[in-house]
Amino acid sequence: MSELAFYVYCIAERATAAELPAESLPPAIEDDSKLEWVVSGELAALSSQVPLASYSEESLAEHLSDASWTAARAMRHETIAEYVAKRAGIVPLRFGTIFLERDGIERMLSDKGRELREILERLRGREEWGVNVFCDQNILMSSITSVSPVLRELVEGAAQASPGQSYLMQKKIDALKVDEARLALNRIIEDIQKSLSDRSDDAKRLRVLKVEATEHGELKAKFAFLIQQSDFDRFRDAAEKLAQEHQRAGVRLELTGPWPAYNFTQIS
Amino acid sequence: MTSPFDQVLIQSDVEQLEQADLSLLETLDHVLNRGLVIAGEITIAVADIDLIFLGLNVLLSSVETANEVLRKRE
Repeated sequence: MSELAFYVYCIAERATAAELPAESLPPAIEDDSKLEWVVSGELAALSSQVPLASYSEESLAEHLSDASWTAARAMRHETIAEYVAKRAGIVPLRFGTIFLERDGIERMLSDKGRELREILERLRGREEWGVNVFCDQNILMSSITSVSPVLRELVEGAAQASPGQSYLMQKKIDALKVDEARLALNRIIEDIQKSLSDRSDDAKRLRVLKVEATEHGELKAKFAFLIQQSDFDRFRDAAEKLAQEHQRAGVRLELTGPWPAYNFTQIS
Repeated sequence: MTSPFDQVLIQSDVEQLEQADLSLLETLDHVLNRGLVIAGEITIAVADIDLIFLGLNVLLSSVETANEVLRKRE
């Protein structure tokens, strides 16, 4: 048998390991291996064995550039984390947390026990929701003269001015359009961030990857919010209201989740 | 697409496949970029996330592959 290592998916309270026996969970990251809870003190780590040949530093680096290899395994990781997160509190770990021996996991649980319990406590009863802000540049540009207060004023002024003045003002309006569109979009994004932060326990603005431009507008901003389950309806109503409000500027909101709280696991 | 996620699309005018694409990319972004980093005994540098995503875009241009990957989450 080839050498094995331990892949760790998430950490939960010891009681969770008893409530959700490993046999009842979705399949492990590699087909020929089973999930197991590694318990130490009051905590339990969900793990499974993986061949060291595929998960060593060098071969992982190689595998990760293979999109289908990575996608399939990342989905396994996520499915397991989601399954447990729906039923109990977890600290989701990033893809590729690997230990050489079971002892190493136990040591990690006891060394980091205080921080891990702190995170679990902070996340209790809460879920992560994502909000993506898309903008259709064509709609934004065609509505910008009414969306931007500066341009609105100029347009009104131009309508009342003499033909000569009006011509010059129109030139100014055209020159300002692009900048004003950018400013208007930033204001909208700030408004969304502020309104939704007020309705959540924690908020993060996330990096937007270049490749995330899609056919239905460009992704302009990406947020994660930590929300008490009982507050979600209020949060959703607020997001819908914002979506309606900013629709005429070509802005679309997309709400995704609930996610395991991947973006709120930092140790304070 | 069947997903255990209740993915909610506000102002949803997105095609079915696009939803699948989005949900897959979203998921990978979470799993690969975020989550608690615990130094295990093997350090892996998931550094070139952008490259992985570029690769995924190519992958997602095939409907069958996208669906196949998504089915695995059930």
